[in-house]
Amino acid sequence: MLKVSVISPEQTLYEGEASSIVAPAYDGEVGILTGHAPMMALLGTGTLRLSGSAGEQRFKVEGGFLQVVDDVVRVVTERAAEL
Amino acid sequence: MAKGRELKGRIKSVEGTRKITRTMEMVATSKLKRAQDRVAAARPYAQSLASVLSDLYSPALAERFPLLRQPAAARRVGVLLITSNRGLAGAFNSNLIKEARLLLSRLEGQGAEIEFHAVGRKGLGYFRYVGRSIATSRTDLTDRPTAANAAELVDGMMQDFVTEKLDAVYVVYAKYNSPLSTPATAARILPVTPPEQQAIKRDYLLFPSAEAILSELLPLYVRNVVYRALVETAAGEQGARRTAMKNATDNAGDMLNILRRTYNRARQAQITQEIAEIVGGAEAQKG
Repeated sequence: MLKVSVISPEQTLYEGEASSIVAPAYDGEVGILTGHAPMMALLGTGTLRLSGSAGEQRFKVEGGFLQVVDDVVRVVTERAAEL
Repeated sequence: MAKGRELKGRIKSVEGTRKITRTMEMVATSKLKRAQDRVAAARPYAQSLASVLSDLYSPALAERFPLLRQPAAARRVGVLLITSNRGLAGAFNSNLIKEARLLLSRLEGQGAEIEFHAVGRKGLGYFRYVGRSIATSRTDLTDRPTAANAAELVDGMMQDFVTEKLDAVYVVYAKYNSPLSTPATAARILPVTPPEQQAIKRDYLLFPSAEAILSELLPLYVRNVVYRALVETAAGEQGARRTAMKNATDNAGDMLNILRRTYNRARQAQITQEIAEIVGGAEAQKG
Protein backbone atom coordinates (compact mmCIF):
# COMPACT_ATOMS: atom_id res chain seq x y z
CA MET A 1 0.00 0.00 0.00
CA LEU A 2 0.96 3.58 -0.56
CA LYS A 3 0.80 6.13 2.21
CA VAL A 4 -0.79 9.20 0.77
CA SER A 5 -1.28 12.70 2.04
CA VAL A 6 -2.95 15.53 0.16
CA ILE A 7 -1.82 18.86 1.55
CA SER A 8 -2.97 22.39 0.80
CA PRO A 9 -1.67 25.57 2.46
CA GLU A 10 -4.68 25.69 4.78
CA GLN A 11 -5.08 22.08 5.75
CA THR A 12 -4.29 18.43 5.19
CA LEU A 13 -7.20 17.18 3.12
CA TYR A 14 -6.42 13.51 3.17
CA GLU A 15 -4.09 11.24 5.01
CA GLY A 16 -4.33 7.50 4.54
CA GLU A 17 -3.61 4.57 2.31
CA ALA A 18 -4.23 3.88 -1.33
CA SER A 19 -3.24 1.07 -3.66
CA SER A 20 -2.83 3.29 -6.68
CA ILE A 21 -2.83 6.95 -7.57
CA VAL A 22 -3.46 8.84 -10.74
CA ALA A 23 -2.32 12.44 -10.56
CA PRO A 24 -2.50 15.30 -13.08
CA ALA A 25 1.13 16.17 -13.70
CA TYR A 26 2.09 19.30 -15.63
CA ASP A 27 2.17 17.44 -18.96
CA GLY A 28 -0.42 14.72 -18.53
CA GLU A 29 -1.53 12.15 -16.02
CA VAL A 30 0.91 10.07 -14.07
CA GLY A 31 0.08 6.80 -12.35
CA ILE A 32 1.81 5.55 -9.22
CA LEU A 33 1.82 2.06 -7.74
CA THR A 34 3.79 0.66 -4.84
CA GLY A 35 7.52 0.31 -5.36
CA HIS A 36 7.77 3.46 -7.46
CA ALA A 37 11.22 5.05 -7.74
CA PRO A 38 11.68 8.34 -5.83
CA MET A 39 10.09 11.01 -7.91
CA MET A 40 9.15 14.63 -7.88
CA ALA A 41 6.80 16.04 -10.45
CA LEU A 42 5.10 19.35 -10.97
CA LEU A 43 1.34 19.21 -10.99
CA GLY A 44 -1.00 20.88 -13.41
CA THR A 45 -4.71 21.36 -12.97
CA GLY A 46 -7.00 18.38 -12.87
CA THR A 47 -8.36 15.52 -10.84
CA LEU A 48 -6.31 13.44 -8.45
CA ARG A 49 -7.67 9.94 -8.00
CA LEU A 50 -6.78 7.64 -5.13
CA SER A 51 -7.95 4.04 -5.32
CA GLY A 52 -7.96 1.93 -2.22
CA SER A 53 -9.90 -0.83 -0.56
CA ALA A 54 -12.64 1.65 0.32
CA GLY A 55 -13.17 2.66 -3.28
CA GLU A 56 -12.01 5.71 -5.15
CA GLN A 57 -11.50 9.18 -3.82
CA ARG A 58 -11.16 12.22 -6.01
CA PHE A 59 -9.66 15.64 -5.41
CA LYS A 60 -9.42 18.63 -7.64
CA VAL A 61 -5.89 20.01 -7.51
CA GLU A 62 -4.24 23.04 -9.02
CA GLY A 63 -0.49 23.55 -9.16
CA GLY A 64 2.07 22.38 -6.65
CA PHE A 65 3.97 19.13 -6.78
CA LEU A 66 3.93 15.43 -6.11
CA GLN A 67 6.66 13.63 -4.23
CA VAL A 68 7.14 9.88 -4.02
CA VAL A 69 9.68 8.36 -1.64
CA ASP A 70 9.57 4.78 -0.35
CA ASP A 71 5.86 4.32 -1.00
CA VAL A 72 5.06 7.58 0.74
CA VAL A 73 3.30 9.96 -1.59
CA ARG A 74 2.82 13.61 -0.81
CA VAL A 75 0.59 15.70 -3.00
CA VAL A 76 1.30 19.31 -2.13
CA THR A 77 -0.91 21.70 -3.99
CA GLU A 78 -1.85 25.37 -3.88
CA ARG A 79 -5.55 24.76 -4.17
CA ALA A 80 -7.30 21.50 -3.49
CA ALA A 81 -10.88 20.42 -2.95
CA GLU A 82 -12.44 17.05 -2.39
CA LEU A 83 -14.81 15.99 -5.15
CA MET B 1 -25.87 58.95 52.64
CA ALA B 2 -24.53 60.77 49.58
CA LYS B 3 -21.22 58.89 49.57
CA GLY B 4 -22.95 55.54 49.69
CA ARG B 5 -25.02 56.27 46.62
CA GLU B 6 -21.93 57.38 44.76
CA LEU B 7 -20.15 54.15 45.69
CA LYS B 8 -23.13 52.12 44.62
CA GLY B 9 -22.99 53.78 41.21
CA ARG B 10 -19.31 52.95 40.82
CA ILE B 11 -19.86 49.35 41.88
CA LYS B 12 -22.56 49.01 39.20
CA SER B 13 -20.30 50.47 36.55
CA VAL B 14 -17.31 48.26 37.43
CA GLU B 15 -19.60 45.23 37.46
CA GLY B 16 -20.75 46.16 33.97
CA THR B 17 -17.18 46.52 32.76
CA ARG B 18 -16.23 43.19 34.28
CA LYS B 19 -19.12 41.52 32.50
CA ILE B 20 -17.85 42.89 29.19
CA THR B 21 -14.21 41.96 29.73
CA ARG B 22 -15.17 38.49 30.90
CA THR B 23 -17.26 37.95 27.78
CA MET B 24 -14.45 39.21 25.57
CA GLU B 25 -12.08 36.83 27.32
CA MET B 26 -14.36 33.91 26.59
CA VAL B 27 -14.87 34.94 22.97
CA ALA B 28 -11.11 35.30 22.51
CA THR B 29 -10.56 31.88 24.07
CA SER B 30 -12.85 30.18 21.62
CA LYS B 31 -11.46 32.12 18.66
CA LEU B 32 -7.96 31.32 19.84
CA LYS B 33 -8.73 27.62 19.75
CA ARG B 34 -9.78 27.82 16.11
CA ALA B 35 -6.88 30.07 15.17
CA GLN B 36 -4.47 27.65 16.84
CA ASP B 37 -5.91 24.82 14.78
CA ARG B 38 -5.28 26.82 11.64
CA VAL B 39 -1.66 27.44 12.64
CA ALA B 40 -1.22 23.70 13.18
CA ALA B 41 -3.01 22.83 9.92
CA ALA B 42 -0.65 25.07 7.96
CA ARG B 43 2.41 23.22 9.20
CA PRO B 44 2.45 20.11 6.91
CA TYR B 45 2.36 22.22 3.77
CA ALA B 46 5.18 24.46 4.96
CA GLN B 47 7.28 21.47 5.98
CA SER B 48 6.74 19.67 2.67
CA LEU B 49 7.69 22.75 0.68
CA ALA B 50 10.75 23.41 2.81
CA SER B 51 12.00 19.83 2.59
CA VAL B 52 11.59 19.72 -1.18
CA LEU B 53 13.30 23.06 -1.64
CA SER B 54 16.24 21.99 0.45
CA ASP B 55 16.40 18.72 -1.51
CA LEU B 56 16.54 20.49 -4.84
CA TYR B 57 18.47 23.60 -3.91
CA SER B 58 22.10 23.88 -4.80
CA PRO B 59 24.22 27.02 -4.85
CA ALA B 60 25.00 26.42 -8.51
CA LEU B 61 21.33 26.52 -9.42
CA ALA B 62 20.69 29.53 -7.23
CA GLU B 63 22.28 32.03 -9.57
CA ARG B 64 19.70 31.35 -12.21
CA PHE B 65 16.68 32.24 -10.11
CA PRO B 66 15.57 35.83 -9.81
CA LEU B 67 13.90 35.13 -6.45
CA LEU B 68 17.24 34.00 -5.04
CA ARG B 69 19.32 36.87 -6.36
CA GLN B 70 21.30 38.61 -3.65
CA PRO B 71 21.47 42.33 -4.40
CA ALA B 72 24.71 43.99 -3.31
CA ALA B 73 22.93 46.92 -1.71
CA ALA B 74 19.30 47.34 -0.80
CA ARG B 75 18.23 50.55 -2.47
CA ARG B 76 14.50 50.03 -2.36
CA VAL B 77 12.95 47.75 0.23
CA GLY B 78 9.39 46.55 0.69
CA VAL B 79 8.06 46.25 4.23
CA LEU B 80 4.80 44.49 5.02
CA LEU B 81 3.44 45.11 8.49
CA ILE B 82 0.70 42.84 9.78
CA THR B 83 -1.38 44.08 12.70
CA SER B 84 -4.90 43.41 13.86
CA ASN B 85 -7.99 45.41 13.01
CA ARG B 86 -9.19 45.67 16.58
CA GLY B 87 -7.61 46.83 19.79
CA LEU B 88 -8.13 45.77 23.39
CA ALA B 89 -5.40 43.19 23.05
CA GLY B 90 -2.87 44.63 25.45
CA ALA B 91 0.45 45.65 23.95
CA PHE B 92 0.00 43.34 20.97
CA ASN B 93 -0.30 45.97 18.25
CA SER B 94 2.06 48.47 19.82
CA ASN B 95 4.74 45.78 19.96
CA LEU B 96 4.28 45.12 16.25
CA ILE B 97 4.39 48.82 15.47
CA LYS B 98 7.52 49.23 17.58
CA GLU B 99 9.22 46.37 15.74
CA ALA B 100 8.25 47.91 12.41
CA ARG B 101 9.61 51.31 13.47
CA LEU B 102 12.93 49.73 14.47
CA LEU B 103 13.16 47.92 11.15
CA LEU B 104 12.29 51.03 9.16
CA SER B 105 14.83 53.20 10.92
CA ARG B 106 17.50 50.52 10.50
CA LEU B 107 16.79 50.19 6.79
CA GLU B 108 16.62 53.93 6.28
CA GLY B 109 19.87 54.25 8.20
CA GLN B 110 21.42 52.04 5.54
CA GLY B 111 20.11 54.42 2.92
CA ALA B 112 17.23 52.35 1.64
CA GLU B 113 14.05 53.79 0.27
CA ILE B 114 10.98 52.15 1.82
CA GLU B 115 7.86 50.90 0.17
CA PHE B 116 5.46 50.42 3.04
CA HIS B 117 2.49 48.06 3.03
CA ALA B 118 0.12 47.72 5.96
CA VAL B 119 -2.35 45.03 6.87
CA GLY B 120 -4.74 45.76 9.71
CA ARG B 121 -6.33 48.96 10.92
CA LYS B 122 -4.01 49.44 13.91
CA GLY B 123 -0.71 49.55 12.05
CA LEU B 124 -2.23 51.52 9.21
CA GLY B 125 -3.69 54.08 11.60
CA TYR B 126 -0.38 54.63 13.37
CA PHE B 127 1.77 55.02 10.28
CA ARG B 128 -0.79 57.21 8.57
CA TYR B 129 -0.78 59.37 11.72
CA VAL B 130 3.00 59.79 11.68
CA GLY B 131 2.76 60.71 8.01
CA ARG B 132 4.55 57.83 6.33
CA SER B 133 3.55 57.23 2.74
CA ILE B 134 1.74 53.94 2.45
CA ALA B 135 1.92 52.01 -0.80
CA THR B 136 -0.97 49.65 -0.17
CA SER B 137 -3.12 48.81 2.80
CA ARG B 138 -5.64 46.12 3.61
CA THR B 139 -8.10 46.23 6.46
CA ASP B 140 -10.51 43.64 5.13
CA LEU B 141 -8.64 40.53 6.27
CA THR B 142 -10.59 38.73 8.96
CA ASP B 143 -9.57 36.32 11.71
CA ARG B 144 -9.52 33.74 8.94
CA PRO B 145 -6.86 34.73 6.44
CA THR B 146 -6.68 32.50 3.39
CA ALA B 147 -3.80 31.43 1.19
CA ALA B 148 -5.39 33.53 -1.55
CA ASN B 149 -5.09 36.64 0.70
CA ALA B 150 -1.39 35.93 1.13
CA ALA B 151 -0.93 35.61 -2.61
CA GLU B 152 -2.69 38.96 -3.20
CA LEU B 153 -0.42 40.62 -0.67
CA VAL B 154 2.91 39.35 -1.84
CA ASP B 155 2.59 38.63 -5.57
CA GLY B 156 3.05 42.26 -6.55
CA MET B 157 6.17 42.57 -4.43
CA MET B 158 7.54 39.33 -5.82
CA GLN B 159 7.06 40.71 -9.31
CA ASP B 160 8.84 43.93 -8.33
CA PHE B 161 11.67 41.94 -6.83
CA VAL B 162 12.11 39.92 -10.02
CA THR B 163 12.14 43.06 -12.16
CA GLU B 164 14.62 44.61 -9.68
CA LYS B 165 12.31 47.38 -8.57
CA LEU B 166 12.72 46.08 -5.03
CA ASP B 167 15.92 44.72 -3.54
CA ALA B 168 14.48 43.08 -0.44
CA VAL B 169 11.14 42.47 1.22
CA TYR B 170 10.51 42.17 4.94
CA VAL B 171 7.42 41.16 6.83
CA VAL B 172 6.70 42.23 10.41
CA TYR B 173 4.31 39.89 12.18
CA ALA B 174 3.59 38.25 15.52
CA LYS B 175 5.28 34.89 15.72
CA TYR B 176 3.04 32.43 17.46
CA ASN B 177 4.97 30.36 20.00
CA SER B 178 2.13 29.90 22.46
CA PRO B 179 -0.89 31.95 23.54
CA LEU B 180 1.35 33.74 26.03
CA SER B 181 4.33 34.21 23.76
CA THR B 182 3.68 36.09 20.55
CA PRO B 183 6.82 38.13 19.97
CA ALA B 184 6.75 40.74 17.22
CA THR B 185 9.17 39.51 14.58
CA ALA B 186 10.70 41.03 11.48
CA ALA B 187 11.60 38.45 8.87
CA ARG B 188 13.16 38.89 5.44
CA ILE B 189 11.13 37.01 2.86
CA LEU B 190 12.97 38.17 -0.26
CA PRO B 191 15.56 37.27 -1.38
CA VAL B 192 14.54 33.80 -0.33
CA THR B 193 16.76 32.19 2.26
CA PRO B 194 16.84 28.53 1.25
CA PRO B 195 15.74 26.20 4.03
CA GLU B 196 18.43 24.27 5.90
CA GLN B 197 20.08 21.53 3.90
CA GLN B 198 19.24 18.03 4.94
CA ALA B 199 21.98 15.47 5.40
CA ILE B 200 20.74 12.87 2.93
CA LYS B 201 19.98 13.82 -0.61
CA ARG B 202 17.94 11.42 -2.64
CA ASP B 203 18.15 10.77 -6.32
CA TYR B 204 14.77 11.74 -7.56
CA LEU B 205 13.29 11.32 -10.96
CA LEU B 206 12.45 14.91 -11.72
CA PHE B 207 9.65 15.97 -14.01
CA PRO B 208 10.36 18.19 -15.82
CA SER B 209 13.69 19.23 -14.14
CA ALA B 210 15.08 20.54 -10.88
CA GLU B 211 15.15 24.03 -12.33
CA ALA B 212 11.57 23.98 -13.49
CA ILE B 213 10.35 22.60 -10.19
CA LEU B 214 12.33 25.17 -8.21
CA SER B 215 11.07 28.06 -10.29
CA GLU B 216 7.53 26.83 -9.73
CA LEU B 217 7.93 26.19 -6.01
CA LEU B 218 9.87 29.28 -4.92
CA PRO B 219 6.86 31.59 -5.37
CA LEU B 220 4.72 29.06 -3.48
CA TYR B 221 7.25 29.12 -0.69
CA VAL B 222 7.24 32.92 -0.44
CA ARG B 223 3.43 32.99 -0.45
CA ASN B 224 3.38 30.35 2.24
CA VAL B 225 5.71 32.35 4.47
CA VAL B 226 3.29 35.27 4.22
CA TYR B 227 0.28 33.01 4.76
CA ARG B 228 1.87 31.64 7.90
CA ALA B 229 2.64 35.16 9.10
CA LEU B 230 -1.05 36.07 8.64
CA VAL B 231 -2.32 32.99 10.44
CA GLU B 232 0.16 33.30 13.30
CA THR B 233 -0.64 36.98 13.77
CA ALA B 234 -4.36 36.18 13.84
CA ALA B 235 -3.77 33.53 16.51
CA GLY B 236 -1.43 35.81 18.44
CA GLU B 237 -4.06 38.55 18.49
CA GLN B 238 -6.58 36.25 20.12
CA GLY B 239 -4.00 34.99 22.60
CA ALA B 240 -3.00 38.54 23.53
CA ARG B 241 -6.62 39.61 23.84
CA ARG B 242 -7.43 36.68 26.08
CA THR B 243 -4.56 37.57 28.40
CA ALA B 244 -5.42 41.27 28.41
CA MET B 245 -9.09 40.61 29.11
CA LYS B 246 -8.31 38.09 31.82
CA ASN B 247 -6.16 40.68 33.57
CA ALA B 248 -8.87 43.29 33.13
CA THR B 249 -11.47 40.93 34.61
CA ASP B 250 -9.22 40.12 37.56
CA ASN B 251 -8.51 43.78 38.17
CA ALA B 252 -12.20 44.62 38.03
CA GLY B 253 -12.77 41.92 40.65
CA ASP B 254 -10.15 43.40 42.96
CA MET B 255 -11.61 46.84 42.47
CA LEU B 256 -15.10 45.58 43.29
CA ASN B 257 -13.86 44.04 46.53
CA ILE B 258 -12.40 47.34 47.65
CA LEU B 259 -15.46 49.31 46.59
CA ARG B 260 -17.84 46.91 48.34
CA ARG B 261 -15.79 47.03 51.51
CA THR B 262 -15.76 50.82 51.48
CA TYR B 263 -19.49 50.88 50.82
CA ASN B 264 -20.29 48.53 53.67
CA ARG B 265 -18.10 50.44 56.04
CA ALA B 266 -19.87 53.68 55.12
CA ARG B 267 -23.26 52.00 55.58
CA GLN B 268 -22.30 50.63 58.99
CA ALA B 269 -20.91 53.95 60.07
CA GLN B 270 -24.17 55.57 59.17
CA ILE B 271 -26.27 53.02 61.06
CA THR B 272 -24.05 53.40 64.11
CA GLN B 273 -24.45 57.12 63.92
CA GLU B 274 -28.23 56.91 63.61
CA ILE B 275 -28.45 54.63 66.66
CA ALA B 276 -26.23 56.99 68.58
CA GLU B 277 -28.52 59.84 67.65
CA ILE B 278 -31.64 57.96 68.76
CA VAL B 279 -30.06 56.89 72.02
CA GLY B 280 -28.79 60.41 72.57
CA GLY B 281 -32.29 61.77 71.88
CA ALA B 282 -33.93 59.30 74.31
CA GLU B 283 -31.42 60.18 77.02
CA ALA B 284 -32.21 63.86 76.54
CA GLN B 285 -36.00 63.19 76.85
CA LYS B 286 -35.50 61.53 80.25
CA GLY B 287 -34.03 64.82 81.38
